[in-house]
Amino acid sequence: MVVLDPAHGGTDPGARGVGGVRESDIVLDLATQVRHGLEAQGFQVLQTRTANENPSFDDRSSLANAQTGAIFVTLHISSTGIASTVRVYAMRDMAPPQTNGGLILWEQAQAPYLSLSRKLGDVIQGELGQKFKGSPANVQTASVRQLRTTAAPAIAVEISNVTISDKAEMDRMLSGVADSIVRGVVAFRPSYVTPAVAGIPPGVKQ
Amino acid sequence: MTPRLRLYIVIGLTGAVLAAAIYFPILKRRVKRQAKVQQQSEEQARRELVQSLAKNTNGPLSKAKLFWASEADESDLAPTTVDLPLSNDPALRSKQVLDTLLAGPVDSELRTLPPDAALLAFYILPDGTAIADFSEALATSIPSGVQSEQLAVDSITKTLEANVPQVRRLRILIHGQQVETLAGHLDLTGAFPVSTPATPASPQATTPSRK
Repeated sequence: MVVLDPAHGGTDPGARGVGGVRESDIVLDLATQVRHGLEAQGFQVLQTRTANENPSFDDRSSLANAQTGAIFVTLHISSTGIASTVRVYAMRDMAPPQTNGGLILWEQAQAPYLSLSRKLGDVIQGELGQKFKGSPANVQTASVRQLRTTAAPAIAVEISNVTISDKAEMDRMLSGVADSIVRGVVAFRPSYVTPAVAGIPPGVKQ
Repeated sequence: MTPRLRLYIVIGLTGAVLAAAIYFPILKRRVKRQAKVQQQSEEQARRELVQSLAKNTNGPLSKAKLFWASEADESDLAPTTVDLPLSNDPALRSKQVLDTLLAGPVDSELRTLPPDAALLAFYILPDGTAIADFSEALATSIPSGVQSEQLAVDSITKTLEANVPQVRRLRILIHGQQVETLAGHLDLTGAFPVSTPATPASPQATTPSRK
């Protein structure tokens, strides 16, 4: 199960490029491409939004948190950075998880998954680094709000950048990024062992 | 006493009473105006005192290390040494370095924070938690994105870490309010660790009992 999160939407267009290009529209297009690629590999895929709407951070996280053994990927296009490069982010270090009767607090849902998220991020960043020269070789870390409340291996993929006005160049990027994400998820899957928290017995392979 | 002298005295006294009657309201007005002027100058003096404390212009210059974007890699930070008359008071010192950080480097391409953003207030709690309150422009003028928002926060925390050892962690407020994200991506609900070495374990950071 993979949960894809096209960021922004609704009243929040995200980054805006020349000629009215909106991050919220491009990432929706990207999500559709990733979805098709993953479904072709036999994955079940959910999207946090399929139209121009803006669910809250918690609503988006809850779609993954309600599943056992989900993988969460939030998709972004930045307004800065070297054009035609792509970065993958995992959550930056958090305080060790507090448990409440064996359950992890919602506010720190990502904490038990930090190392899995980094592994997933490294695999996908490796794929992206080969295709898009100038991209980092390894996953980066950042305090991304969306990732913090997500109880699953979770990464943010950020494409630079929204100022790419050439439609052909943007289309080429999107299909390349989608392909890298699919390859990365497929490569990561065998190493995904759910951490022993939240009442899930250790060693359950999804 | 001759009648003539009595007349002079009466005329003199009447004149004095009349003069007093005319002069008294004028005097009253002058006293009021004077009081107002004094109040203003007290305020002015207080403002000047705070400013001079913050600038401490006469103090000896020390080397402050500020973190703006790196020339070699604009997605990363690099330290720049700037001579500043740094205060010994940790909160004032923090204000000085952050104001300079906001003012920006010589090469404006290497800015990490929007030029119209301002630091409104800065406090340090006894446990080493600092609270920095920025104007709304910090959130509204910054290019939105994981990379640019993280770079902005890192430039603030790294600059504090390099110059103010008393600051252990930092909370960022926007116009006095706690907000969920900086500009749609970076989490501002928690505190950012600032100086990691020898940080006493906070009560929240105790090892969980995993079952």
